Amino acid sequence: MIGQLRNASGIGLVLGLLLLWEASARLGWVASPNWPPVSAVLAALLRDVMTGEIPTLVGGTLWRMAAGLFAGGLAGVVVGLGFALLPFVARLFAPVVELLRPIPVPAVIPPLVLFLGLDNTMKVTVVALTVFFPVLTNTVQGVRAVEADALAMGRTFGIGALRRVVFIVLPASLPYILAGFRVALALALVVTVVAEMIAGEQGVGHYLVMMQFAGRAEEIYATVLLLGVLGYALNRAFLLVERRMIHWWFALGRQSAA
Amino acid sequence: MRSALRWLPGIALLAALIAGLEWAVDAGLIRRALMPPPSAIGAALWDLLASGEFAEPLFATLRLVFAGFAIGSALGIAAGVAMGWWPAMYRLLEPLVELLRPIPKAALVPALMLFLGIGEAMKITSVALAVFFPVLVNTLQGVRGVDSVMLDAGRTHGWGTTHVLRHLVLPASLPFILAGMRVALGLALVLAVLAEMLSGQGGLGFLILDMQRSFQVRLMYAWLVILAVVGLALNTLFLLAERRALHWQPANRP
Repeated sequence: MIGQLRNASGIGLVLGLLLLWEASARLGWVASPNWPPVSAVLAALLRDVMTGEIPTLVGGTLWRMAAGLFAGGLAGVVVGLGFALLPFVARLFAPVVELLRPIPVPAVIPPLVLFLGLDNTMKVTVVALTVFFPVLTNTVQGVRAVEADALAMGRTFGIGALRRVVFIVLPASLPYILAGFRVALALALVVTVVAEMIAGEQGVGHYLVMMQFAGRAEEIYATVLLLGVLGYALNRAFLLVERRMIHWWFALGRQSAA
Repeated sequence: MRSALRWLPGIALLAALIAGLEWAVDAGLIRRALMPPPSAIGAALWDLLASGEFAEPLFATLRLVFAGFAIGSALGIAAGVAMGWWPAMYRLLEPLVELLRPIPKAALVPALMLFLGIGEAMKITSVALAVFFPVLVNTLQGVRGVDSVMLDAGRTHGWGTTHVLRHLVLPASLPFILAGMRVALGLALVLAVLAEMLSGQGGLGFLILDMQRSFQVRLMYAWLVILAVVGLALNTLFLLAERRALHWQPANRP
């Protein structure tokens, strides 16, 4: 109760700003078709959710995001293990990876459109490319942080190299890998929407651009709001999964790895 | 010298990949309309560089990135220090920040276009918004982590709040601030390119999309190479500057 009261000023500010938004639109302080009152935005959100238009679009976007997250994440973990465990592989491939990494994502969309067209394959690939790099970096870090004693013990017990990787290295570096996935998850949602905005006629991103062309401000704000809530919910859900999967890490009193 | 030798296999692989691509296109394994041979892209790139044609779009994009990055960083640091230093400010602003932070900034570009049109103002605002939040969060973390013994020492010397903030809190939280700014710099370039693509005018981002849509594939790849070099150069320069600014940190001492 006291904790809630302590935050009263902050919540007051948020409510005050929302009220100011509503009043400025209703009373014509900001007289612009691009400035609908917040109540109209919420009404538009509710309407589009009820008609099923938005849920269908969001479903498609989330599906593409999940597919890209899975493909890019898997590739990131596998390549990361290779880089960390086989120094020669790192020296061979690192220059190629480091040259590709700094290219801003939206810029790889046009060439991918040439090869893969405008639909799902292209978008999933863009998301996978985005996800690949943070997961790769964190996997390499995680494997480096595995305690040498754990590996030595595995060797003493005569566990083969492959089984050591699967049963010792992977679980021990999981906190780092998951931290990479959490960063990647936030990027994945944004990049899916970006890809939809730039190319093709699918998903929330395309809807946003269409509404902008049509000058439907309410729909735009409603969609942006929805994406914010979605991003927040995905992050929360991931934190829960993370806590369950690596409870031993938190039990050791360590914080999230990144 | 030794480090150069270490990366020799990687650079050899890169050269082999480019040569292999050249051969595959020549042999007709990859359609020229999709992937011109690297030599042709190199020639197109050379034309852009030699004629000076590259300069205007390049500087247009860099101007966006720098303006948005500077504005977003300055505001992010100011808000982060205020929230980290005065608990009342933290309580006031924290719910608002937590509410706005998860909104994907890329999705705000269409909304900003309604208000600010498709010109510089919209693009710089998009970039600044994307930069603001990571810098804010890292600054906040840095300011809260300042050693309380140092603060007590400052108070013992009779320093005022401004002096403490300027000469103690800011330098001590600089590693965090710079880490946030490094992440933000990458985002700034992404948002600049995206804003150019969506507004259909401006620098490198617009050109890459426009060349693809008009099937001038060689030029598309040439501009893409220029953009990749920009990304690499910005990141490298920032790392160098960061190391210089933090030379007092143990990890950076020679």
